Amino acid sequence: MLLPLLVAATLSVAATTTDLRDLVTAVGGERVRVTSLTDPRHDPHALEILPRQLVALREAALVVRVGLDHEPWLPRALAGITPRPRELDLSRAVVLLGTETPRLRAERAAHVHAFGNTHYWLDPANARPITARIEEALSALAPAERAVFAENRVRFLARLDAGLARWELLLKPFTGMRVVTAHDTWPYFARRFGLTVAATLEERPGVPPSAAYVAQIVARMRAAGVRVIVSEPAAPAALVRRIADQAGARVVMLAPSVGADSEATDYLTLFESNVTRLAAALAP
Amino acid sequence: MSLAVEILALPLLACLVLAGIHAYLGLHVLARGVIFVDLAFAQIAALGMAAALLSGHALGSAAAYAYALVFTAAGALLFAATRTRPGAPAHPSHIPQEAIIGIVYAVAAALTVMVLDRLPQGGDQIRQLLVGDVLAVGGGEVARTAAVYAAIGLVHWALRRPLLALSFGGEVPAARAWDFVFYFTFGVVVTSSVRIAGVLLVFAYLIVPAVAGALVSGTVRGRLATGWGVGFLVSVLGLSASYAWDLPPGAAVVATFGALLAVIAVARAVAGLVRAARQDGPRALAGIGVALAGLVAIAGVFLAVVPRGDHVWLTGLEAVAPPVMTAFLTPRERETLADARAAIARGAAEVARLRTLEADVQFGTRQLEPEQRERLRQFLAGRGEIVAGDRLVVATLRRHARERQRFVLGVPLAVGGTVAALALARRRTRAASVSP
Repeated sequence: MLLPLLVAATLSVAATTTDLRDLVTAVGGERVRVTSLTDPRHDPHALEILPRQLVALREAALVVRVGLDHEPWLPRALAGITPRPRELDLSRAVVLLGTETPRLRAERAAHVHAFGNTHYWLDPANARPITARIEEALSALAPAERAVFAENRVRFLARLDAGLARWELLLKPFTGMRVVTAHDTWPYFARRFGLTVAATLEERPGVPPSAAYVAQIVARMRAAGVRVIVSEPAAPAALVRRIADQAGARVVMLAPSVGADSEATDYLTLFESNVTRLAAALAP
Repeated sequence: MSLAVEILALPLLACLVLAGIHAYLGLHVLARGVIFVDLAFAQIAALGMAAALLSGHALGSAAAYAYALVFTAAGALLFAATRTRPGAPAHPSHIPQEAIIGIVYAVAAALTVMVLDRLPQGGDQIRQLLVGDVLAVGGGEVARTAAVYAAIGLVHWALRRPLLALSFGGEVPAARAWDFVFYFTFGVVVTSSVRIAGVLLVFAYLIVPAVAGALVSGTVRGRLATGWGVGFLVSVLGLSASYAWDLPPGAAVVATFGALLAVIAVARAVAGLVRAARQDGPRALAGIGVALAGLVAIAGVFLAVVPRGDHVWLTGLEAVAPPVMTAFLTPRERETLADARAAIARGAAEVARLRTLEADVQFGTRQLEPEQRERLRQFLAGRGEIVAGDRLVVATLRRHARERQRFVLGVPLAVGGTVAALALARRRTRAASVSP
């Protein structure tokens, strides 16, 4: 059953997110056909499995996933698929943040991602180890194309490095600045560009913050002079707006994934547009 | 504290506006027995909004609201057309209106899911536009909503005769037309309320004050006054609780509604019992006595059979009267318990202090060297574990106590409760056979 796929000119890959789809495309180029199983414009927590996804999984020789607890629906979707495609869990490729969870529930601490924060693709430097794993996996499935994959990756990394240098330069004036984020999406991004996430408004997506927590954040933002709240399409817009008004801060809307926003058309423009917007918002 | 006022002023105002109109509409809804009609309307409006987006109108544009309004009107027509007259003879194939409301809700929800799946913008923004968070309301929004509700309130006041008669089972000419007026105004109110406060809160504001009013008073006027009182009181209490105990505000208000209703129900039951006892003497209390003794017996049996289970009543009793637990511990264990409790209190205070320090450092209002910050992080993690360890010690000691309470407390309670329940039940049946 796998054999025709191996000899065929194109390799079918299913990525769980658009970000990973783009990184697989960057390595696989024209030899690989990649589909993203999810649409970043829809709520990832309320995902219902669609026939389209089952078709993509059935055709795929390889499933590329974010891992940790980012795709709770994937085992359910894969349950009926035979033969099971190979899985590539990219969380193993990077150093994770936010892995500390109180082992015993000693205090009430919000921790959505119990195994570590899953938004590691938002550090562009992580694309290097991630694409290395992708190259390995693709080469194992199509050994004849090994050289093509390696060459594609080198070309992609050259563009990435040029971009990273530009983005770091753009955000350099704001090193050490503090922002408040709507959701806990940006720790990797903030660390890469020398920003500090001082607090998160909605610690558990979907559970509104209490009045006391909002008051505390507003008071702290005023005292510390935090001027920017980083929001995202899935965040509660009215609440973010109101807190920003009370704290005298600006709201900047960033895209957490490729395609979450009309400007973030691929992995590189995702950062291009996010960095440009953030720099504009942070500028006095 | 002034910041609390600043944060909570608009949400409280919004809640009071909601309480004002919903307590009144709730009387109608309760009298008509269409409890879930507001959920159906919220879903119909969502479908209208999604349809507007699908036709290429912007989110929040006048066209989108017009779509929502037209869909609401269509829903009102449907509900007016399917309403069955209270006095009408029951047909064998009679279908209750709640069934139609449920079907409309489910189908509208399914269609919305399908439309959202096709939309370029995705579902998040629409959901946010439709399901609000009361903490996020703006001043303009509250003012606009209050104006709309005041207008609708005036319409209802002007037309109170036919509308009230219709809901409370009177004969009205052109009933379907009046039904439409009621459902349409109701739909408009619910749709804008849900946008401010979310489905859960709107449902509570609609039904609970009306039920509380029905429990307390028999007249429309009395019920309305009670409903308003309950709505205002719960708004203030719920939002204060959200602030004091760090709870999500909408959920806190809804839970307060539930608690208040429970208090009213218990008070009514107690008043009824007292009245009965005054009339028939202590015999009237036999029924409740049997129930209470039965509960005691069940609690005793549970403690004797599963001493390791969660005996909430016993834990609560021990919190009020510590000797209930400490009497079952050896002196050494008692000492350990006191030490662990003191350590927990100290540790929790320490963790709270360090959390504040950590937040200060995060916000940059206090400076720490990187090395100190790392030590702070590690210390916090360690402290948390130590507190957890002390909690484990307390839990273990409680388990020891339970093993001993099992026979000394559980068996007597089981036997005593059973005997008391049987004796009371016998007295009750004997009294019943004598009295007629």
